[in-house]
Amino acid sequence: MKHALALLFLSLLAASPVVAQEVVAGLSSNQAAVGEPVQLVVTVRGARGADVPQTLSVNGLRINLAGRSTQFEMRNFKMSSTLTYTYIIVPQFEGNFTIPSFDVAIEGKTYRTQAMHLAVSGAAQVPQMPTLPQSMPTVPSGPPPAVGNDNGRPYFAELVLSKKSAYVGEIVPVELRFYFHSRIGGQVGERPNFGGEGFTVQKFSNAVKREQVVNEANYVVFTFQSAITPVKAGTLEIPAASLEARLQVPGNAPQGLDDFFNNFPLPQGMFTETREVTLQTKPLQLEVVALPKENKPEDFSGAVGKFTMDASVSPKKAAAGEPVTLSVTVSGQGNFEGMGAPSLVGDEGWRTYPPSDKFQAADAIGFTGEKKFEYPIIARQDQTKTPGARFSFFDPSSGKYSTLTTDPLPVDAKAGNAAATASAPAATPGAGAGATPGPATKPTPDIAVMASGSSHWSSLFFRKEFLIGNAALLAAWLAVVLAFSIRSFSASNTGRMIARKKQASDALSLLRNADPSAFYDRVHDYLTLRLNASIEPGSLAAKIDSSALPVELKSSLHKMLERHDESKFAAGGISQPSAEERESVMATLKQFHAFHEK
Amino acid sequence: MLSMKNSHLTQTLSLFAAVLLLSQSARADVLADARARYAEGEYQQAAKLFEQAIETAPPQAAVFFEFGRCLRQAGQDGRAALNFQRALILDPRFSPAAVALTETNTDLGIPKPAVTWQDRVLERIPMDTLTLTGAVLFWVGVFMITFLLLLRAARRKGLYALGMICLAAGIAALALAWLCDPRITDRNTAIVLTNGGASVLNSPAEQSEKIASLREGTQVQILSQRGRWFYGAIPGGARGWFLTEGIVPIIPPV
Repeated sequence: MKHALALLFLSLLAASPVVAQEVVAGLSSNQAAVGEPVQLVVTVRGARGADVPQTLSVNGLRINLAGRSTQFEMRNFKMSSTLTYTYIIVPQFEGNFTIPSFDVAIEGKTYRTQAMHLAVSGAAQVPQMPTLPQSMPTVPSGPPPAVGNDNGRPYFAELVLSKKSAYVGEIVPVELRFYFHSRIGGQVGERPNFGGEGFTVQKFSNAVKREQVVNEANYVVFTFQSAITPVKAGTLEIPAASLEARLQVPGNAPQGLDDFFNNFPLPQGMFTETREVTLQTKPLQLEVVALPKENKPEDFSGAVGKFTMDASVSPKKAAAGEPVTLSVTVSGQGNFEGMGAPSLVGDEGWRTYPPSDKFQAADAIGFTGEKKFEYPIIARQDQTKTPGARFSFFDPSSGKYSTLTTDPLPVDAKAGNAAATASAPAATPGAGAGATPGPATKPTPDIAVMASGSSHWSSLFFRKEFLIGNAALLAAWLAVVLAFSIRSFSASNTGRMIARKKQASDALSLLRNADPSAFYDRVHDYLTLRLNASIEPGSLAAKIDSSALPVELKSSLHKMLERHDESKFAAGGISQPSAEERESVMATLKQFHAFHEK
Repeated sequence: MLSMKNSHLTQTLSLFAAVLLLSQSARADVLADARARYAEGEYQQAAKLFEQAIETAPPQAAVFFEFGRCLRQAGQDGRAALNFQRALILDPRFSPAAVALTETNTDLGIPKPAVTWQDRVLERIPMDTLTLTGAVLFWVGVFMITFLLLLRAARRKGLYALGMICLAAGIAALALAWLCDPRITDRNTAIVLTNGGASVLNSPAEQSEKIASLREGTQVQILSQRGRWFYGAIPGGARGWFLTEGIVPIIPPV
């Protein structure tokens, strides 16, 4: 019966799904000495076999595959398998090496490992000033884990300081490492708890997860980086750091079945239990030395580290009163947060202001980077060079103060009049805070001479005098255009015709009241005008004949001309026209007028 | 009778001239007093006198500059910036005001605005001169071309070209003056004068979402007004609502 149950269980086991595939590679240490072997472990999960290279080619490192181990686990009836390929790396010479990513083939799929870095030193001693995060000299908080096989501790923690002694104000990089045996699953807290008296702690970096072989056991390591800054001299007690974790650790079979399961070589992890744990490092001590008082530069403002300094200016040409920006960049490693701004030298003739600053970190903890100080400066007198900059710091590696300087930079800056001639009297407290005080001059009495400009808030476009002037010019232009137009119209044929019509119309109206003795003269004048005839004798008669008037009308008009000639040439004249005759003539002329208008 | 009328006219003109002279003289006295107080370090008193002089006479760049300098000494950097700006509106080439404004803004933490092509024009040419020159050239061109056209002087190509050049130059000068004159371009600009700055909100309600904070001395563009609220553009281009209290137009209302 027992055997049947076991077979059933094993068949279930074989049919159970396999977890997702994953390939992770890690080094047992990312620093070593020449000849000191380091392990490279490639862990393959969710597969029963993988093709990996036998050797890796990196100049300066001898890397050979040393062996393979397989591990099956079961958690909550889910099967998982872990293959571990172990390479041995033997450094050949000193230097920083990058082990490139390489392919791992699993059941037809190809996975790539991540690239890894290994720092190889000539001797196995700890360097003074490490560079995070690639190489962290270890001053571990406790003894190495006492594990030599699978029965080793399932988890442990260590605090690594980059050095054993430091100066007050010096940044000391620290690393918190939390190790979990690769058989353990679970969750870890986002940030460790770490702090104490006598030092300040920088913000922690995000956790970096990697795999590491410790005493031939495979561990997953969560690493947090930060830095501490001692604030007083003496022996500094660095308390333990801790991290909360919720782990699934291998458990025992249920009571009553333990005898049964003990008869078979069952996969580990088949039965797990959840456990809330707190991983704690061991406390450490750091010897803190005060900064030396001798040879301390006057302008030392608390910078501790190793720095370089550079300067630039923009713009290189400035008009009167225009500020230029002198940018001074301090870069290197050290306490950027605690440092003061470089001081300016040779700034006579310049009005200077406190600089703004901006820090650009090159690592996760703000230990390496550059800080840019921007000084707005305005020339008091015409200038061809900017002030220089001076910056003093304490170098912990040499134990001495150092001073950096930059040369004045060429610039063409004109003096601002306000600064030169119209600056305020000696600055009073609270006024113009931050500015370098101007020369204590009295106000310039003829300041008004310096300003011209307008005495109106409105633009000339909207001012009455401008608008009236333009309106007058517009009117003049319109008048000119109108006069010319009238003149040219009058000179045109149309204009002349209209004029004639008007004259004819006037002549016709004059006929009504004309003197009877001159009646036919007016008739003649009217017809001459209407037919555009000349004053030549016979011209009017010819015009009448050549016109398109009806014959009867022509005949009537000729009779009128005869009457006119009679009145003009007959001896003694003609009798004055009667009222009926005048009416008849007027009617004929109206008929002519109407016909002519058509 | 005629001589009596002339006598009245003369008396009226004399009276007018006397009043004018007296007012000018009184203003000169106020200014002299203000300058004396300033020289003695009595900045608050001097500021009051400068303000009085400004209210009673046509605006002058130099007086605004002196008033601003006085306010700066009295610790009123925001109002000082406003008056330096007003001096520059009246005379954009008044470099002492430009320097003082830069210094004041630096102390207020207001970043220096980028130099625009309009600024470069203002540095070189007085706007009223440019406007007047533009108008004269425009009319000379207009009249020249009109006469040439009306007189049918088609053969006078040189005169036509000169007229066209005058016309084009006049239009260009007038357009340039219109685009550059700060009394036109800054007619909707205001400055924040509240001590703690001003909050820019998403809508005209005190509980609405805050978009940005404006420091004292910040210049904003007023786009519209609704009750106690201005809608405007802030440096950087964002738009929002802010209370009218403490927001003072750079160009004072006439």
